[in-house]
Amino acid sequence: MFKNTPIYWKLVVTSIRAKMEYKVTFLFLLIALLFYYLGQLGVILIILVKFKNINGWSLGEMAFLYGLLVFSQGISTLLFSSLNYFENLIIEGDFDRLLVRPLNPLLQVLASSFELSSVAHFLIGSTALYYGATRSGLEWTFQKIVFFPIALAGAVLIQGGIRLAVAAVTFWTTRNRSLVHTIVYSSKEFILYPISIYNFWVQAFLTLIFPLAFINFYPSHFFLARDSSTLLFHPALQYGTPLAGLIVFAMAYALWKAGINHYQSVGN
Amino acid sequence: MSSENTHTDTFPFGPAKPVYLNFIEKSFQKQIAYKFEYFVGVLNGLLFIFVFTSLWNAIYAGADTLEGSPFTRSQMISYAVFAMLFRISMTMEDNEIGRKIRTGAISMDFIKPVSYPLMLFSEAIGQTLFHWFTRVIPLSIISLLAFDAVMPQAPSAYVLTAIAWVLGYSILYIINFGFSLLAFWFTEVFSFQLMKFGLFTLFSGGIVPIDFFPDFAKPLIALIPFQYILYVPTSIFIGHIQGAEAIRLLLIQAVWVFTLGFICWRVWKAAQKKLIIQGG
Repeated sequence: MFKNTPIYWKLVVTSIRAKMEYKVTFLFLLIALLFYYLGQLGVILIILVKFKNINGWSLGEMAFLYGLLVFSQGISTLLFSSLNYFENLIIEGDFDRLLVRPLNPLLQVLASSFELSSVAHFLIGSTALYYGATRSGLEWTFQKIVFFPIALAGAVLIQGGIRLAVAAVTFWTTRNRSLVHTIVYSSKEFILYPISIYNFWVQAFLTLIFPLAFINFYPSHFFLARDSSTLLFHPALQYGTPLAGLIVFAMAYALWKAGINHYQSVGN
Repeated sequence: MSSENTHTDTFPFGPAKPVYLNFIEKSFQKQIAYKFEYFVGVLNGLLFIFVFTSLWNAIYAGADTLEGSPFTRSQMISYAVFAMLFRISMTMEDNEIGRKIRTGAISMDFIKPVSYPLMLFSEAIGQTLFHWFTRVIPLSIISLLAFDAVMPQAPSAYVLTAIAWVLGYSILYIINFGFSLLAFWFTEVFSFQLMKFGLFTLFSGGIVPIDFFPDFAKPLIALIPFQYILYVPTSIFIGHIQGAEAIRLLLIQAVWVFTLGFICWRVWKAAQKKLIIQGG
C-alpha cells in the first residue's frame, strides 16, 4: 500500500500547486473561514460570559473541548476532504480512471484534492486549545504529553472513518451530498457542547453507535482531570479515543472495499 | 431551469403577475423531486432543535428562572425551537446567480421579458412555501410534542409574527441577493458567503437571543440588520416582545427592507451595465 509513496506525494503536491494558483482568493478564504468559526465560537462565548458555565464546564474547559474538535477536524480535513466530493468522481466517471491505475484507489482519491482551508482550523483549534489549557490550569504531566498525539490521531481516524463510510455509500446510491452535509458537518453540532447535556439515549448513541463523543468529550476528561465518576458508562472511556478511532476506520474501510467490489461487479 | 421557455408563453396573455406565480409553482415542483434530501433535511432540523433545547435545559439546570435571563425556562425552550424553525423556514438557495454567471446561463435569463430579481424572488418563495409545508409544519408538530415548546395564546401574536416573519424573510433574501451579486465583480464569492453566514449565525438571534449579548455589543448589533431576521419574529412569537415595542421593531424592519432593497437595486443596475459592457 505504501510502496508507491513518492507517486502519492507528487499527486498531493500537484493539488497544492493548483490551489495556491490563486493566492489572494486563498488568503481571503482563510479570513472568511475565521469569520465563520468565530461566529460559531461567539455563540458559546456569549453563553459562557453570561452564565459562567455549561453543565459544569467553565469557559477554559469549553475552549479546550472546542479546540480538540476543531484541531482534529483540521487534520481530518487536510487528509480526507476529497471524500466529501466523492460523488462527483462517481457521477463523472473519473473514478474508473483511478481504478485502472496500479495504485490504491483510496489513496489516489485522498491525494486528488488538498483542502488548504484546514489552516483556519489549525489556527482556531490551537488557539482554543492553548487558551483552554491555560485558563483551566491544565497540568501537562508526562502521561498527558504522550497521550495527546495518540488521542488526536484517534479523533482524526474517527472523523476520517465517518467521511470514508459516507463516501462508500456513494457506490450504491451515486449521490451522497445531503448525507455529507448531515453526517459529516451538522452532526458536529452535538459535540460543540459536553454531551452530558443530552439525555441518556443520545449519550449512549454518541458513545456506542456514532462515537463522536470520543473526539473531544471523553479525552477532555483525561486532559482536564475532570471527575470521571460522572462519565456515562465507565471511567476507562476517557482513554478510549485511539481504540474507537481504529474500530471506526476499520469498519469504514471494510465498507469502502465492499463498495468497490459492488461498483466493479455491476460493470463499471 | 429546464422548462424556461414555457414561462414566456403566458406573458402576452396578461399582466406580469401570473408569470411570477408560475415561477413559484415551478420552483415548488422542483423541490418535490428530491425525496432523500427531504428526509435528511428534516433529520438535520430535528438534530439542531434537539441540541439547542438540551443546551438551554442544561443551563437552566431544572430551575424555572435563571439569574440574568429575562426568559422563563419554558420561554427559552420555545425560543430555541421557534428560532430554529423560522431559520429552517427561511432556507434558500443563495448562490444561484454566481453559478449562472460562471456557466453563462445568466444571459438566457436576461433575454426573458420579466424582471430577473423578481423572477428569482418568486422562485425563492416557491421554495419557501415548500419548506413550510414539508419541513416547518411537521417539525413544529414534533417539537411541540417532544420539546415542551409552547404556542402563543393571543391571536395578535400570530398576526404580528406573520408580519415580522415576512419582513425578516425579505431582509435575509435581499442580503443574500446582494451578496450573490458580488459574483459580477469577483470570480469566487464563496468567501463572502462564509463571512455572511458567520455574521448571521451570531447576530441573527437564531441561536442566542440578543438579550444575552454583553451591553457594549447591543448598540452595535442594533446598527446591522441581522437581528431583524430571526430575533424579532421569534421574540414576538414567544411573547418576549409585545405591544408598542413590537410595532416599533416592525417599523424598523420595514425601514431595513427598503434601505437594503434600494442598495441592492442600485448594485443590480450596475451589475447589469457591467454584463452588457462585457458583451454578455
